[in-house]
Amino acid sequence: MNSNKIIISLLFLIISSLSLSEELIFKNAKIHTATDRGTLENTDLLIRDGKIIRIGKNLTSSRAKVKDLKGKVISPGLIAPLSQLGIIEIELVPETRDDRSDIYSAGLSIDSAFNPSSTLIPYNLNGGITLSLTSPSSSGLFSGLTSVFSLSGSLEDSLISSNIALSANINGGEDSLAAKIQLLEDSLDLSKLVEPDFSFNGGSDLFVPEDVNYSIRDLLAIKRVMSKEIPLVVRANRASDILTLIKFAQRKDINLIINGAEEGWRVSEQLAKAKIPVILRPIDNIPNSFNELGSRLDNAYLLHQSGVKILISSHETHNSYLSRQGAGIAVSYGLPWEEALKGLTSNIADVFKISKRGSIKLGHIADIVIWSGDPLEVTTFVEEVYIAGKRIPTKSRSMRLKDRYIDN
Amino acid sequence: MKNLTIIVFIGLLFIFPLSSKESTAFESTYQPSESGNIYIKDAKIFTGTGSKIEKGNILISSNKIKAIGEDVMQPADARVIDANGKWVTPGIIDIHSHMGVYPAPNLRSSSDGNESTSPVTAHVWAEHSVWTQDPQMPLALKGGITTFHVLPGSANLIGGRGVTLKNVWSRTVQGMKFPGAPYTLKMACGENPKRVYGGRGTEPSTRMGNVAGYRKAWIRAQNYRNNITKYESKSDEDKELESAPSRDLELETLLGVLDGEILIQNHCYRGEEMAIMLDVAKEFNYRVTTFHHAIEAYKVADILAENEVCAAVWADWWGFKHEAFDMVWENAAIIDQAKSATGCAIIHSDSAVGIQRLNQEAAKAMAAGNRAGLNIPAARAIQWITLNPAKGLGIDEKTGSLEVGKMADIVIWDGNPFSVYTKTEKVFVDGVLLYDKDNPSTPKATDFELGIINSEEDRL
Repeated sequence: MNSNKIIISLLFLIISSLSLSEELIFKNAKIHTATDRGTLENTDLLIRDGKIIRIGKNLTSSRAKVKDLKGKVISPGLIAPLSQLGIIEIELVPETRDDRSDIYSAGLSIDSAFNPSSTLIPYNLNGGITLSLTSPSSSGLFSGLTSVFSLSGSLEDSLISSNIALSANINGGEDSLAAKIQLLEDSLDLSKLVEPDFSFNGGSDLFVPEDVNYSIRDLLAIKRVMSKEIPLVVRANRASDILTLIKFAQRKDINLIINGAEEGWRVSEQLAKAKIPVILRPIDNIPNSFNELGSRLDNAYLLHQSGVKILISSHETHNSYLSRQGAGIAVSYGLPWEEALKGLTSNIADVFKISKRGSIKLGHIADIVIWSGDPLEVTTFVEEVYIAGKRIPTKSRSMRLKDRYIDN
Repeated sequence: MKNLTIIVFIGLLFIFPLSSKESTAFESTYQPSESGNIYIKDAKIFTGTGSKIEKGNILISSNKIKAIGEDVMQPADARVIDANGKWVTPGIIDIHSHMGVYPAPNLRSSSDGNESTSPVTAHVWAEHSVWTQDPQMPLALKGGITTFHVLPGSANLIGGRGVTLKNVWSRTVQGMKFPGAPYTLKMACGENPKRVYGGRGTEPSTRMGNVAGYRKAWIRAQNYRNNITKYESKSDEDKELESAPSRDLELETLLGVLDGEILIQNHCYRGEEMAIMLDVAKEFNYRVTTFHHAIEAYKVADILAENEVCAAVWADWWGFKHEAFDMVWENAAIIDQAKSATGCAIIHSDSAVGIQRLNQEAAKAMAAGNRAGLNIPAARAIQWITLNPAKGLGIDEKTGSLEVGKMADIVIWDGNPFSVYTKTEKVFVDGVLLYDKDNPSTPKATDFELGIINSEEDRL
């Protein structure tokens, strides 16, 4: 080996270590892990190449950038389950919305419409959200497919995981609930007849009523539920409806997630036994319809007591981060604090199989929020946000408006 | 002959009361039950006047606050409530609610908040739509709400009269009406009226159409007043020969505003629209009491403070329509601090969810202000949900702060009210304990809730 070659190899090593091994140590943090380890006081966190490499005391590394947090709070980035982040700007302005379709139902995948530069993204980063399970919200039986996006703002790398769940809604409209359950069943059966190459073996008239139209794309999406590739997320609140769906899921052998579950506390044992997770909006205790008359603020607590896995959501996309306030309210009605944090983070990642995100754990991707205090408290603010170990700028349009007018 | 004329004239007065103040229909019949003497001991108190008492006592007597301070004597016959370690605030007031007119469950058959059939419906009164058995009301009571103001919706330029209610169970609306509270009139700027009527191809379909609509209405009110004044200035003989101007429900209400008896509650999101509405008020010589949903109030906070107009805002709602796009978390704080801290900020709900925790909404808005360097102590921020909404409703002489002689509308909290974890423990309306966390039969369930999911139980 001549000296030139040695120099070149050394240079290569140096360059690769510089480019591949970015290291960052947060020292002296209060770390809410959202795992069974709970909260670690006065602990350091070493991040390398966007991943959590070490969690412990007195961590050092010669090449790491070190940041002393002096007791400040770190949590995993929060996840918004079933929001319309990235596909809506203004609710009442239809031309800013990409969350609905009259053309496709189950087969609507919103990936191509996701806008990483949406004004809602930096705004919600300021509330601690780093990942969104963005979902269409068409009003039919099926609303479409959910995909997972990072809120990094990156034009090219925001999509984390495509078409991971199918959403359905059995309330609303004037048709009988019974008819909707039948249609759900018929649609699942019909989907068996389509093949991934878009071929179809059978006459649809045998299976669904005349005014129901599915494209092959819709049926392929439904078929993925039948094959248990993806879960079916059904919005339902009434206790008896939830039981109906549990039986339905068992009969069809599919993975079910209940969204809403305002009367879930009345059937919490059954939900726990069937291992069906629920997505809750703990802040909403209004008996808004005859399907949620039993709505109450300790629903999350009672469900957790029975062993049901809880995912916590906000009730509006623009303020997806207000899931935090809902979680805090659930805590004030008995839900253990650590469970509430899991409901905002790791439970969502587990249930939707988003790998290596949602908790602070060795080998996990470093989606991390630094807070001014307790992340569930309404007076707490986000100080810094990291997605895959990279600091994400969080200045929002709203903050710039404030800066312009505050000294008027 | 002369006597007869006088009799006829007096008779006409009875048949045709000529201005709003002479109408005595729908008067409040609310009467709290006797509270007796209640002594709240050793509490941390936000008085609602801007100050804080670290360890103080409150004496309630005959439904009123008899004494408050660090050394209030404990009468021998008083019921004593040990509030050591607890926090006490005035009863919370929501200046923007649709409870009763948009009740739960949300059904078309009882959605009675918007008479959206004509852009000016000053003749309708929200109280005639209120369903007293709305289950949202006891939920709000548990959140500390002792008084709330029910408005018609915002489909119309002038939507009708609002009504201020005590949060008490009653079979009748009259039995909830806040005694002596002035009437209010709802007006709405911006997108809603132009969307509702423009969508039908009728006026208004633009913001300029909106403003023309307000001005035309006030001109009619002025003409109505002129006709009445003209008639009243006539000699008795002339009056006998002419009939009095006939009563007009719509113009009676508008005239009540011009006479300063009815307070304007103006739904208005944008800064420039608020400035325009202040000029409309000047043109016709009336006052805007409060701008509601004032998302952009922070842009005109100094103008609002100069004009002594309150702005009622959310802590963080935004994005549901274009005029709600420029929300900042610091809005309430900036309104509050305008013109050497003379601004009047109010946190409102417009929501049956939000009304249950206005304390948390105020906490968020206060924290945002403080983070931005505006120095707002909690004792001041509590006024955003107590004394300031009372001012906006013209009832601040009677409630909204813990001062001697005022109604004993009081909340005892199990911790700092500016925390997500804090809940109410006891809520008094006029000294009557209507919610007590230790008494499961409070708050009293509405008729709707009885046996609704289980015939043996109230709704939980």
